[in-house]
Amino acid sequence: MGWAFYNVPCSDTNTSLHPFSLAKGLVTSGRNTCTPYHSSTVKIPFVAILRTNLHQEMNYFPDEVIEHIFDSIASHRDRNSISLVSKSWHKIERCCRRRVFIGNCYAISPERLIGRFPCLKSLTLKGKPHFADFNLVPHEWGGFVHPWIDALARARVGLEELRLKRMVVSDESLELLSRSFANFKSLVLVSCEGFTTDGLASIAANCRHLRELDLQENEIDDHRGQWLNCFPDSCTTLTSLNFACLKGETNLSALERLVARSPSLKSLKVNRAVPLDALTRLMSCAPQLVDLGVGSYENEPDTESFAKLLAAIKKCTSLRSLSGFSEVAPLCLTAFYPICQNLTYLNLSYAAEIHGNHLVKFIQFCKRLQRLWILDSIGDKGLEVVASACKELQELRVFPSDLHDEEDNNAAVTEVGLVAISAGCRKLHSILYFCKQMTNAALITVAKNCPNFIRFRLCILEPNKPDHVTSQSLDEGFGAVVQACKGLRRLSVSGLLTDKVFLYIGMYAEQLEMLSIAFAGDTDKGMLYVLNGCKKLRKLEIRDSPFGNAALLADVDKYETMRSLWMSSCDVTLGGCKRLARDAPWLNVEIINENEDNGMERNEEDEREKVDRLYLYRTVVGTRNDAPSCVTIL
Amino acid sequence: MEGCPRNRETCPKLLDLIPQGRKWYHEEKKNSDQEKKLELRLGPPGVDEDDRSAMNTETRNNIKQQQNIKKESEDKSIFSLNGNHFSPSNKTTHVPHISHKRTAPGPVVGWPPVRSFRKNLASTSSSKLGNESSHGAQINKSGDGEKQVELKREGMFVKINMDSVPIGRKVDLSAYNSYEQLSFAVDNLFRGLLAAQRDTSGGEGEEKPIIGLLDGKGEFTLTYEDNEGDKMLVGDVPWQMFVSSVKRLRVIKSSEISSALRFGCSKQEKMRN
Repeated sequence: MGWAFYNVPCSDTNTSLHPFSLAKGLVTSGRNTCTPYHSSTVKIPFVAILRTNLHQEMNYFPDEVIEHIFDSIASHRDRNSISLVSKSWHKIERCCRRRVFIGNCYAISPERLIGRFPCLKSLTLKGKPHFADFNLVPHEWGGFVHPWIDALARARVGLEELRLKRMVVSDESLELLSRSFANFKSLVLVSCEGFTTDGLASIAANCRHLRELDLQENEIDDHRGQWLNCFPDSCTTLTSLNFACLKGETNLSALERLVARSPSLKSLKVNRAVPLDALTRLMSCAPQLVDLGVGSYENEPDTESFAKLLAAIKKCTSLRSLSGFSEVAPLCLTAFYPICQNLTYLNLSYAAEIHGNHLVKFIQFCKRLQRLWILDSIGDKGLEVVASACKELQELRVFPSDLHDEEDNNAAVTEVGLVAISAGCRKLHSILYFCKQMTNAALITVAKNCPNFIRFRLCILEPNKPDHVTSQSLDEGFGAVVQACKGLRRLSVSGLLTDKVFLYIGMYAEQLEMLSIAFAGDTDKGMLYVLNGCKKLRKLEIRDSPFGNAALLADVDKYETMRSLWMSSCDVTLGGCKRLARDAPWLNVEIINENEDNGMERNEEDEREKVDRLYLYRTVVGTRNDAPSCVTIL
Repeated sequence: MEGCPRNRETCPKLLDLIPQGRKWYHEEKKNSDQEKKLELRLGPPGVDEDDRSAMNTETRNNIKQQQNIKKESEDKSIFSLNGNHFSPSNKTTHVPHISHKRTAPGPVVGWPPVRSFRKNLASTSSSKLGNESSHGAQINKSGDGEKQVELKREGMFVKINMDSVPIGRKVDLSAYNSYEQLSFAVDNLFRGLLAAQRDTSGGEGEEKPIIGLLDGKGEFTLTYEDNEGDKMLVGDVPWQMFVSSVKRLRVIKSSEISSALRFGCSKQEKMRN
């Protein structure tokens, strides 16, 4: 049985607690230990559930009451735990479960999902592995949503919300979706592909109660049709519309009419084809906007247009979140000064045109900023300003702005900027930082300043780059981070790293769930330290590192506790993968080949052939049947 | 599990060999420097690794990929010759292969880990012309900043030809910021010429405005040839992306679009031009 890796504890601590608070104070456990953890939904500290006592007490309540108690528990993991307490709880929980999250669409089948959760309203599905974002996974690899929509439609599930990430979506799927669920309200597609604006037209036309259409960074074939026109005049319920990733022209009048008849619209993110004057009109008829993504305007606006824009912006007093700005003249950014002190989220990471100085001038007034996505053109000096101005900052992402220029970029960021941020922004818990150089000393300082990191992703652009002051590896720096940040859940490492950093990670990163490794380590020991040490590890992705069969095969059971493992350009061989597939039938072991021909001929000699890309994941439904020819499933 | 003991026997040897792999890498790198000079490549003769500015990004990427592929195949052949030295398994032949890959100087697939649209972002911005320079708001670095601003101020002239007009013009794309402006410019450039051309067949010297260039509704349609040599319809991509990839423009009769897009025809046109 695939999922039986939680052990519900049976220790007896306190018998006199009210069942309601006990039900809310749940414990999830690791493989063999009982580790209390705090649910994000509950403020009451946890206690161990008494399998016998609580269960018996709560059985005196009618099912509806128990359901009501369960309804207050939102976290997927807590609900998973509830369902494991007893058979009756399992039954009650599954019938009242509304939201299901499936981290790997091939781990379970649509039929089993529907069988277990017939009252499903909201489904989140993820398809391709993370490294697909960086072109390491062939387009045809899989992650098709159609079978899911088909199954849900046939079973007449009352689906209201569908959230997909890295999945292949077709126009037919969207058409089917739009016609099958009368109460469908929310479609969120992130990093998906395979559909066109025709599919969007079906959604617009047929989903009478549509509230949210959120398209984030998808590859959409823009037929420049009239999909916006397809929203019927009766559609007035939109709360969120994001089509920033569409590349073609937009029917501006249709958009303006749509926005004008959507009084509940809180989030609007337009694409590049929406010029300044249209934006002004849109903002004028939607001053209630909370979240705005602006289009692009290459020209400097003339005085009159600028004045109109400024006036419209001043009315948007609820605006908290600003993004877009691809190809934007700096003056347009200044139009947003009137509301910048209200902003909590600012994404200028597409604004390649705006010089660092302009960015800094704007950001220094955003005193309430909690999340900032920016390009490295802001520079270390700019980050120092951010550190002194944005004391509420919780999440920072600094993206590389110029990847083709090999010259020394004085405006890019270094360890200096990172240290400044850590010193000034004490609430920082998430960081993604692309830089050209780093030092151990800086990382140690950062760790000391910000022990609250949950996500720490550092990408030094040049692989294997050592500490640029001492020329040593960065093991100590990252070691300091994992040691200080006890709540670290996600880590990406880079630069010159030996096995030692993995020893540190295995020893200290107790809450680590996702680890990304590239060009690091020396021997199999590195990977073994991680697999043995990180008890909560769910996703491990490795590229270009010398880990081989010994590490892969050392603890096969470990993979049952993880969602997936990715290894590309490492030292694992076909023979090793075959052995793993034999020993672990609950895993799908996929080999992704360079070209299709490789898949067919395999003889004994080839078992020593290194595998180019390995992707394995636990599943309860066995081998999938939609794999393309470049993928071999062992 | 019977497989395991066998594996365990080979594993210590594998681990023993990996530290040696480091030394290997150094030796192997030396070889490859020489190999590099002897390799076939796409660039003009005499171009080597360091002379990157001479090539544009795409050929650079192509070359790197070719080199990487070439290196891999050559490495294997070299090490198979030496294979006997390195018992017990062929694994050792792959170790330097991996370390070599790890420090490949050129762009590596999927590295750095940014989405492709972010990579495009940078390249469209670095080729941005026009307005930005007047505000000194260049992304490009302080060192070459001034020089680059100068260059861009010179303007970006591309040839533009129109069907049935034998004489071509040149248009400065840096002077415009949108397709509409360009379309207007084309009308300005060719209205008189077209009228003169038609005038020879006798009749009125009336000048008709050239409109509908972008939406396919007019008598003529604006197309361009991009840096890959392909014939493209104007208007699909954002203006700056268009400017960074356009090499020449052509105004064709809308009725001839289907024939112009046929491969054979475009090849002929290329040869003619």
